[in-house]
Amino acid sequence: MSVQSSVLTGGMPLRPTRALPFRLIPRIETYPGVVSLVQTIPGKAALLAVFGLLYAWTNPSALPLVLCLALLTWMPFRRHQLITVSTVIFAVVVPWTRLAQPVYNIGLITGVLALAAFLIWRASARPRSWYGRKPATILLAGFATWIAAISLVPWHIFRLAPIWDFTIIFGSYIWFIAYVLVDRQAEPVNRLGLEIGFLRPFWGALPTPLPNGTGYLRQIEARNAEELAITQLKGLKLLSWAALITLFSRVFVYFFHVYLRIPYFATTLAMSAHGAPAPWFVCWASLMLHFLENVMAGAILGHRIIACCRMAGFDALRNMYRPLSSVTVAEFFNRYYFYYKELLVTFFFFPIFLRQSPRFPKLRLGISIFAAACFGNVFFHFIRELLYIHDFGLWNAIKTFQVFFFYCVVLATAITISRLRKRKPLPAGFFRGTLRPALSVCLFYCLLSIFALTDRQYPLVEHLRFLGHLFFMN
Amino acid sequence: MDSKTTIRQYLTELLVRKGDRRPFDDDTSLLLGGRLDSIDTVEIILFLEKEFEIEIARDGFQRTQLDTVNMIDAFVRTAHLAAQ
Repeated sequence: MSVQSSVLTGGMPLRPTRALPFRLIPRIETYPGVVSLVQTIPGKAALLAVFGLLYAWTNPSALPLVLCLALLTWMPFRRHQLITVSTVIFAVVVPWTRLAQPVYNIGLITGVLALAAFLIWRASARPRSWYGRKPATILLAGFATWIAAISLVPWHIFRLAPIWDFTIIFGSYIWFIAYVLVDRQAEPVNRLGLEIGFLRPFWGALPTPLPNGTGYLRQIEARNAEELAITQLKGLKLLSWAALITLFSRVFVYFFHVYLRIPYFATTLAMSAHGAPAPWFVCWASLMLHFLENVMAGAILGHRIIACCRMAGFDALRNMYRPLSSVTVAEFFNRYYFYYKELLVTFFFFPIFLRQSPRFPKLRLGISIFAAACFGNVFFHFIRELLYIHDFGLWNAIKTFQVFFFYCVVLATAITISRLRKRKPLPAGFFRGTLRPALSVCLFYCLLSIFALTDRQYPLVEHLRFLGHLFFMN
Repeated sequence: MDSKTTIRQYLTELLVRKGDRRPFDDDTSLLLGGRLDSIDTVEIILFLEKEFEIEIARDGFQRTQLDTVNMIDAFVRTAHLAAQ
């Protein structure tokens, strides 16, 4: 067994050199016998069967996904083409029976993909033009302007429903298109058809691309049978984690919300907003459960998508990695939703950071963090909820976004302080060096989660009132 | 001290600050391998600007250009050549 590339193992030798501590899920990708087995036909079949069963446990419609993964496992030399085909199948064929108007919806998706292809081709064909030099910035600014424009038109009079539908579908693709535009500035680039295949790839489609962009995918893909086996075993391991956390979260929810009858955060917030707040300790309990349940839900979703991506042959980093062990606010933000943070850094932090003078490093860093964690965060969530703008108008959408805007301002301020302040070395010892700072960070994010809502149900003052109840203030 | 040694020393310090004491060579992938993140890239840029007096290109800059010691060294050399 040879030593693996550093991308796969982070520079560590494949074979463990000393006795490893107990692991709930063993590092199967480091066992040479297992890696060899997974390169054989029975091994591949067994791996796919176990992966499929685990995936189907929480998602009954796992068959199309497993079939696509099987094709990728047996024909890795056609990986990019198969991903394009699989993505088209998942965009067009799989949802066919679920849609009320399948032909209309598929037509809109085809239109969106055609527009995406045109935008990508235009940026590649004229890289020195105004658009070619800043394609992602122009795309995002153009989309925001377009939303503002169509929200001002009385759509019900002019029967603009298809335009709104097209805009909403385009909005779900926009970050994927933006990544392709950014990645096409780096060599080597894929052929256009293959880039289209990575727009909302079949392994999972959130508004945030997981993982980020084709440029990153090109560099982390398995290049031989052994790397593919290791990557797929890591995918299976991650899916096992997702299954374990799913099981744990179900027990967790049953124990606290059903057995102990601690209300959900939504309930205690509603009680507070209606003038009959729950006792302070119930408010605290529901808030802490809400925070922990969000962490578990994020882990399950992210792990499942990255597990499928690894099964397709890309050794992507986890989306979430031990956020509760973070000892600074900035570290938690990085570990909680890695690819979303990367998105903010790519499209908001770096463009601002690289345009400022290096003479004022702290100011430069502070402005860039605000551009990402505040402006970028608000922008991402605002354009994600186009239906709200459609239903209630642009001004109402802006006005009712106050809670999330407040959240972003506080978050950006905290991250800026966390990054800029001179950090003393952490004191020795588990309690003072690890536990205490980690608990402080968790407490901060737990309290901040009162405002991390985009449902626009209550105004900011009601969220502040709930915060007050926690500290015995009415 | 040559530029590669300076870069290697700085990256070692950066990794140790993050509690990562694992060895790495000049071709070890630090960004794509997950040992350094995008915020660490900012630290590296600040270091390169100060230490080597280079200006990071505004258009077309890719963070993956700073993935390994060898790649950072090549990036610094290219930036110096472009400045001349």
